[in-house]
Amino acid sequence: MTTSKALVFDIKRFAVHDGFGIRTTVFFKGCPLRCKWCQNPEGLSIEREPIYFKNKCIHCYQCLKLSRHGQIDNKNGIIHIHNHHESFEEIVQACPANAITYDSQYYTIDELFKKIKADEVFFRDGGGVTFSGGEPFMQGPFLIEILKKCKAEKIHTALETSLYTSLDLIKEALPYLDLIYADLKVFDDDLHQQYTGVSVNRIKDNLSYILRSIHRDKVIVRTPLIPSMNATDENIKSISQFLIDLYPNVKYELLNYNPLASSKYELYNFTYGVSKQYKMFTQEKMQHFYNVVLQTGLKNLIIE
Amino acid sequence: MDHLYQTKRISLLKDKMLNAPRYASIEQARIITRVYKENPDLSIAKKRALSLKTVLEEIEIGVEPEELIVGNRTKGVRYGVVFPESGCSWVNQEFESLPTRPQDRFLIHDEDVKEFRENIFPFWQGKSMEDKIKNRYGKEIDAMSKVVKINQKDHAQGHICPDSSLWLKLGPQGLMDQAKEKLNTCREDQREFYECTIMVLQGACTFMHRYGQYIDSILDKQSLQNQESLKVVRNHCYFLAKNPPHHFHQALQSLWFLFVILHMESNASSFSPGRMDQYLYPFYKKDKETGLIDDQQALELIECLWLKFNEIVYLRNKNSAKYFAGFPIGFNIAIGGLDQNGKSTYNEVSLLCLKAQYHLGLPQPNLSVRLNKGTSHKLMQEAIKVVAKGSGMPQFFNDEAIVQTMIHDLNIEPQDAYNYAIVGCVELTTHGNNLGWSDAAMFNFNKALELTLNHGKCLLTHQQIGLDLGGLDTYQTYHDLERAFKKQIDYFIEEMMKAEQVVEKAHQECLPTAFLSTVIDDCLEKGLDVTRGGAKYNLSGIQMIQIANLADSLAALKKLVYDEKMIDQNELLKALQNDFKGYEVIQTMLLNKVPKYGNDVAWVDKMGCKWAEYFRERMKDYTNYRGGPYHTGMYTVSAHVPMGENVGASPDGRNALTPLADGGMSPVYGRDLSGPTAVLKSVSRLNNSLTTNGGLLNMKFLPEFFKTESGMNKFEILLRAFVDLQIPHIQFNVVRKEDLLDAKVHPERHRSLTIRVAGYTAYFVELAGKLQDEIIERKTYDNI
Repeated sequence: MTTSKALVFDIKRFAVHDGFGIRTTVFFKGCPLRCKWCQNPEGLSIEREPIYFKNKCIHCYQCLKLSRHGQIDNKNGIIHIHNHHESFEEIVQACPANAITYDSQYYTIDELFKKIKADEVFFRDGGGVTFSGGEPFMQGPFLIEILKKCKAEKIHTALETSLYTSLDLIKEALPYLDLIYADLKVFDDDLHQQYTGVSVNRIKDNLSYILRSIHRDKVIVRTPLIPSMNATDENIKSISQFLIDLYPNVKYELLNYNPLASSKYELYNFTYGVSKQYKMFTQEKMQHFYNVVLQTGLKNLIIE
Repeated sequence: MDHLYQTKRISLLKDKMLNAPRYASIEQARIITRVYKENPDLSIAKKRALSLKTVLEEIEIGVEPEELIVGNRTKGVRYGVVFPESGCSWVNQEFESLPTRPQDRFLIHDEDVKEFRENIFPFWQGKSMEDKIKNRYGKEIDAMSKVVKINQKDHAQGHICPDSSLWLKLGPQGLMDQAKEKLNTCREDQREFYECTIMVLQGACTFMHRYGQYIDSILDKQSLQNQESLKVVRNHCYFLAKNPPHHFHQALQSLWFLFVILHMESNASSFSPGRMDQYLYPFYKKDKETGLIDDQQALELIECLWLKFNEIVYLRNKNSAKYFAGFPIGFNIAIGGLDQNGKSTYNEVSLLCLKAQYHLGLPQPNLSVRLNKGTSHKLMQEAIKVVAKGSGMPQFFNDEAIVQTMIHDLNIEPQDAYNYAIVGCVELTTHGNNLGWSDAAMFNFNKALELTLNHGKCLLTHQQIGLDLGGLDTYQTYHDLERAFKKQIDYFIEEMMKAEQVVEKAHQECLPTAFLSTVIDDCLEKGLDVTRGGAKYNLSGIQMIQIANLADSLAALKKLVYDEKMIDQNELLKALQNDFKGYEVIQTMLLNKVPKYGNDVAWVDKMGCKWAEYFRERMKDYTNYRGGPYHTGMYTVSAHVPMGENVGASPDGRNALTPLADGGMSPVYGRDLSGPTAVLKSVSRLNNSLTTNGGLLNMKFLPEFFKTESGMNKFEILLRAFVDLQIPHIQFNVVRKEDLLDAKVHPERHRSLTIRVAGYTAYFVELAGKLQDEIIERKTYDNI
């Protein structure tokens, strides 16, 4: 991965849910974690991949004519994509319905910045750009470069990160960030490895550094609550305790479970690891979790 | 003002109004016909004035005992008035179908139909304006109708903002004194104008006086409580018959009489009160300071007036009802904006107007808020609260886009531009001194393009209706195509302008309007009727239909056919001729392989602008019949549905007969995939000189967006960016799709559900099914 281009799987304008004001969220592709509940499975792999949207397909079979080395086959009228290492450029170009398309796009710094700047007029009163993913630090050098560029143009910058990255990269990025959403999902290392595929220790170390640095007020720590996994009193209590020990004024947010992501999975080679029976937590249950946090003495709990 | 509530009186009056049956009425037609028959030797201007005066003296009137503001042009509520001078041939053809037609139905009395056929219609045959235009130029107008729809052929031109401040300052008596003075010293050719003016103003005084008398006649039978309020109203009516208003209540009553009489004279759509918060404020302030009223009382009075605005509808012919569906009568009120020095302004009356809309949520008045860089947070937030309620109001206009353009493009004096108002739906006007002739015609660019691609032949009927300049099969380059398109447009502009002259001339002949002329500045001064050019400003607005589809079509032609040659030009022509049957792959490519207008893709957005700008430039070659300039607008009302029915399959991938984009500046629905900010960016690429007659942008949001304070604040950010982007207009429907679907199935449960159609709000259940479906399909923005 060079710094000259980044792989981005979506750019969402008018993002009004995470962060202040009206924002543009840039989703970087690639993530070192494999959370069982991942909301953006399209952001996991670091490769650009062709995908096939069944519901868009008009079955004109133009793609079959262009298929080489069995890239595409047709079983009883259903298209399948194989051999992702061949170029799909021509097929993607030709598909009249955009049913076969790349899941992501390469951007140079200038191209991406132009996309961000397009909504500058809406970035008043705290709005700006949010870098999300995937894990933006997977494309760290590019991330730092685009952050510098945004800051130079006085655009408010936010980052959503797992913090599973090198401390050097984090140190380099911090001065150019106005807001950092850092996830701490599971406190116990065994469980963290079980649910996310990686150890939590690096994340804790990085978080410890940031929460003791001059940048600590830029941070909002978040825990997405996943039924049957990390949504336990014990987990929430341990995290809260850990956080206030680092910095008593830490800002902390609990995110309610969102079951909608499961529908995205059929396009990708990943399985959604949360049972379908689970729904969002009720308001009462959320209040219970809030109380668990508050009882540890954590003051700045963010409640929607 | 959070403590202000809707009183029982208002709830009661609202229910009465919503439940009143809607009939067609021939009462005024009967009186007018009689006056014309009895006075064959008078000039048309005199006949018109005398018949208005007689109507004001004789028409049956009524008062609801709870009313604080009284007056209507018929005794029944929301009656459709048959108006023979402008046109009744269509009534003759359509009378029996009024109760069952698809859009804007009216009940009828059988004896009325009989009387109309025996005594009214025969007299007007060949004499009404409708018939005169038809006899003189009907064939030509029909021939161009799929490309150019000429409007105002069978009714008077409304869309006027009278000088309400002058009316409130002088009253009919004061105006009459002025006219009498003028009469003593005027030239011979001005004499008739002043005589007519005096006649109608006398009628106006009588009309007001009659309401006082009427109340006296019913007073004994009322409850004590109603007796008390009725006495107040009665006194006001007697007082206003002789004097201009002194108090806030009187001012509102006086204002309502003005608008009732304007409707009785013209039977036209859209006489708009304009900047009510500005000219009513002195009355409010005085009464508030002297303790005569408090805000709750002021609000109740405003809400009474709001209800009255919903009691006048306008009977259109079947075709016109399709283009302007759901009774857009256009009592447009503009609050906020700039003061005479160009500084941002609003006052308590502005907030009361918003509160009244918040409470009532009815289609009228058409409430507009003028925004600018200086608009206060308070006014913004109060307006957004009303938006969140979902009546589609208020709509927003942008001083930053409009004022300077008026000054520079239309040579309007700065103080008139600062004081602009809106008439009807979204049409811009100066206040009290303008005959804007909005929506004189609608020019369908997409039909013109169709003819350019298909050798001048209509794809639907195969008739030769345009010039044969070649076709998609013969144009070797995109430039060839553009050259032909330009010629086709020129041809239809020329045809349109010839028809416009005929129509305006007929208006002068058949529909001089003495009463209106008393409240349009400089008519009294010049001694010249408004239809003859008496107003200070005389504009004519042509609408450009529909730039969104045009941009998408041209982008597809340029990129897919000529630049990248992904689609063969002969194949595409065949695909269009066959409405894409058997050419589904081509249609899918047209829809997917080229970006669309509304996604912030500059080159696509500019494909449409270029032709709109060309058209606007060509308007400068013409002068209207009153000697003023032509300009352009981009607002379709509901015309995108019938206009779409005139257009065959188009290169943007749209099927034949299906609707065009809604609004006027909005993207084609379902094609704006990059969110509302991208839409605003695209729309901002339209040069503001294209929309000096008005522009219209629709957006739909889910109610959830407004649930939190943060949502309300983000909406304000969006609006402030809208101001900075210098887009002239925006309006919002805040509604759940499920509610609309349910209202289709169970209209009885959703009688008061209002929806923004296009520049105006209508009752959803009163719209024809096709238009309902189209509104349901518009893109909704939620928590992206």
